Amino acid sequence: MAVIEVEHLRFGYTQTSILTDLSFSVNEGAFCAIAGPNGAGKTTLVRLLAGLLKPAGGTIRLNGEKLSSYAPKSLARQIAVVCQEYVPVFDFTVLEMVMMVRLNRRDFVLFEDESDRHIVAEALEQTEIVHLAGRKLNELSGGERQRVFIARALAQKTPILLLDEPTNHLDMKHQIRIFDLLKKLQTEQQKTILAVTHDINMACQYCDHAMLLAGGEMAWGNPSEVFAVERLKCVFEVDGFQGSFRSKPFFIPLSGRKKDTAGRE
Amino acid sequence: MNPVLTPKKLMFRIAVAAGILLLLMFLCSLIGSKTIHLGVVLQGPRLESGQANVDYEIYMHVRIPQIFLAAIVGAALACAGVVLQAILRNPLADPYLLGISSGAGLGTMLAVVVAGVSWSFWGISSITLSAFVCALATVWVVWLLGGGGRRGGMSGLLLAGVVVNAFLSAVIMFLNSIAQAGQIQTTIFWLMGNITALENYGLLWISGGIVTAGVLILLRLSVSLNLLSLSPEEARTAGVNVKWVYQGCFAISALITAVAVSLSGLVGFVGLIVPHAVRLFIGPDHRQLIPLSALAGAGFVVLADAVSRTVVAPAVMPVGVVTALAGGPFFLFLLVRRGGKLYTER
Amino acid sequence: MKKTTLITLLAIDAVILAGIIFLVGHSWNRYRAKPSIAEVNTVTPALPKELRIVSMAPNLTEILFALGLNQEIAAVTSDSDYPSQAQSLPKVGTFWQPDMEAIMKAKPTHVFALGFKQQASLAERLRSMGCKSLSLNIESFPELFSGIRAIGKTVGKQEQADRLIYRIQNTQNTLKRRFAGRGDPKVLWVIQREPLRVAGQDTFVDEMIRTCGGQNAIEKTLHQYPPISQESLLAAAPDIIIEPADSAKDYERLSRTAGEFYGRYPSLPAVRDKRIYVLDGDLVSRLGPRIEKGLQEVARCLWPQEKFEE
Repeated sequence: MAVIEVEHLRFGYTQTSILTDLSFSVNEGAFCAIAGPNGAGKTTLVRLLAGLLKPAGGTIRLNGEKLSSYAPKSLARQIAVVCQEYVPVFDFTVLEMVMMVRLNRRDFVLFEDESDRHIVAEALEQTEIVHLAGRKLNELSGGERQRVFIARALAQKTPILLLDEPTNHLDMKHQIRIFDLLKKLQTEQQKTILAVTHDINMACQYCDHAMLLAGGEMAWGNPSEVFAVERLKCVFEVDGFQGSFRSKPFFIPLSGRKKDTAGRE
Repeated sequence: MNPVLTPKKLMFRIAVAAGILLLLMFLCSLIGSKTIHLGVVLQGPRLESGQANVDYEIYMHVRIPQIFLAAIVGAALACAGVVLQAILRNPLADPYLLGISSGAGLGTMLAVVVAGVSWSFWGISSITLSAFVCALATVWVVWLLGGGGRRGGMSGLLLAGVVVNAFLSAVIMFLNSIAQAGQIQTTIFWLMGNITALENYGLLWISGGIVTAGVLILLRLSVSLNLLSLSPEEARTAGVNVKWVYQGCFAISALITAVAVSLSGLVGFVGLIVPHAVRLFIGPDHRQLIPLSALAGAGFVVLADAVSRTVVAPAVMPVGVVTALAGGPFFLFLLVRRGGKLYTER
Repeated sequence: MKKTTLITLLAIDAVILAGIIFLVGHSWNRYRAKPSIAEVNTVTPALPKELRIVSMAPNLTEILFALGLNQEIAAVTSDSDYPSQAQSLPKVGTFWQPDMEAIMKAKPTHVFALGFKQQASLAERLRSMGCKSLSLNIESFPELFSGIRAIGKTVGKQEQADRLIYRIQNTQNTLKRRFAGRGDPKVLWVIQREPLRVAGQDTFVDEMIRTCGGQNAIEKTLHQYPPISQESLLAAAPDIIIEPADSAKDYERLSRTAGEFYGRYPSLPAVRDKRIYVLDGDLVSRLGPRIEKGLQEVARCLWPQEKFEE
């Protein structure tokens, strides 16, 4: 069943459109990777799907309703977003940062209750930042901060998660952990997950759907098809080597000029 | 500090702060340019000899209203400061930033130069009315110019505020150049911030009511403010209706600031220092920050007013001078402490 | 640690505040205590054949006319409105904004100005033009007398000067003798209502009040004309309130609204007994020859049942 349906989406910050005529639909419980070269519009797409930007053309539907018809609070119950990280002006502690999103779920409530505390504790455990609960956000490293933002999104307990490069600051251990966690959320809680990532191989290992955005065009489908080696070489303008491990493809980029399909440089 | 804020904890803290404030207000009511004795005051409006009880009159009709006004002004300014710092995401923000100061100044000058000072309406002086109306009108213009409410319109607001302030200051300067010496004196004195006892107690009740209502509404929005103070996008995705919260907070802070300024002139630095000082002690959570800053701001201005009344007695020093003297060095301290960076940039 | 720094800073602040107040009060007194006459030029005993005098202040104008000078006065400031001959003389701007060109056009031999900073620099400029200038500080009765004497000496009218001084002092002494020790009613001299500013003890106004047998309702303050709080007003409990008006319109307005304004403080004896007086500012606020009449006006306010000649 499709939870997100995008039809003929068009958007540009200026007169030139970054995204032209994008159409795809995401089923419930899918784990999709979104990849592409810099400036292709991946972050823009995430922001459009989160309702932060208004499309210039086309529609986005969430559970059958138009995205623009959702009020912020009800939208926040459906979609949680992990944006590119930033450092806040005021020094909240990690616990306060994650707890905040729980408080906003209900009207006329200023304080958390038992279930909120439980959920927050769980989110902190899942992202392995329990030991950082009392620390100020400004004192953390980039990777630790990133996990805090992921914990916030988890604490919202939404059926859909949108993540914009959730692991780009993380070391290998935490990258694996986060993807494991996302996989678990998909299998155990049927969450729908869309993650922008630069790590094609991770995407191939974990995701069942993939999108490659480049030059306003999109390839959508199974990761091994979308991330076909010739396409990757063309889009990213690199040379590379493709292999397979545990029946999942992997791609290693190599230096050297791009070869076109005929093998000419 | 235990990061979990429970209702009990918050109530306790508010109660303690309120208690301290009341005590401070009582103590300040006992000091002034003339020593008065509570025993004499309690004898009532007339002494046994039949003469009017001057002590009573001073205490009940001058000091008490003055102290309450100081508390109202302090609470309004501090609370507005907290909220503006949150929605502008800038620790340097001050309630006067968005044109209210020059608007009120212009209103004052117009009342003094054009209308004549002794004119009053329902016991409200022309200066108060004029300053209030002009302050609100200026804020509205700034809001429109700055494209307020639109996400990203906040930086536009700051810019609009600066521009409008500059323009109105020029107008004020012009009026100053054609005004007579006495009128200039009146305006400048008023602009330096003065707490005087109002004859119209109704006005005191109304302004107290507006400010209290404003603080309570802002308290209700404190969770959204927490989220907004991080980034409007984060707030949006967490479910905050950013546009409404911006508009609501802006309007309420503007209203309570205009009320404060029209009654007491420009008492500066309260909206800037008190939020910071309170944040230093209890952290940036707006659920605590809003009520406690209001109470702390009230206490600060009550104290400043007491100082202004007694230091050069029987002459009176403008309250704005006292708060500025306290505020200037504190501001420097803030800058130094943060190593020249008052807020972390992305 | 940040909390102790905060407290330290507040303590430093208190010290700074105290220091500023001290300095303000001190410098105010300093400014006042300048020597009464700052002669920019030494006055030569021999007078030029023809005197052309420019007066830069209304009270100086009045003094010059009172000394018998008439043709010799070439120009005056636009606020010099007495005597009536002065009104038809060419004008050289105001006390605060002197018109340099107009002064030069008058081709003065002597310029008399009050010793305020603005006019002191004016005097310097004129001296470089070869014109003799006399910069006087007239803010008290002794200064008035030495000022009259100095002017008299400069223009060769010493006799008239002495006579003028004698007249004023005579009035003073008569009033003092007549009304000394008759209860010392408390007088509050209000020069501005919003904010409420009054004449303090270090002023010529205070001297006038004491000459007429009264006392200032306000105690000693740092400033000469301080703004006072409502508390101080109530505590001062003046028996009489006097307000000088600086124009006919001002006079009318002050008189009309006095009841409404002071009616807020019904406990004041002055309000209770309806002893609020608005006086002509030209007589009582201008330290010149007419201050004699001013003294009598003040005395009439303090002692309304008494009879006065003239």
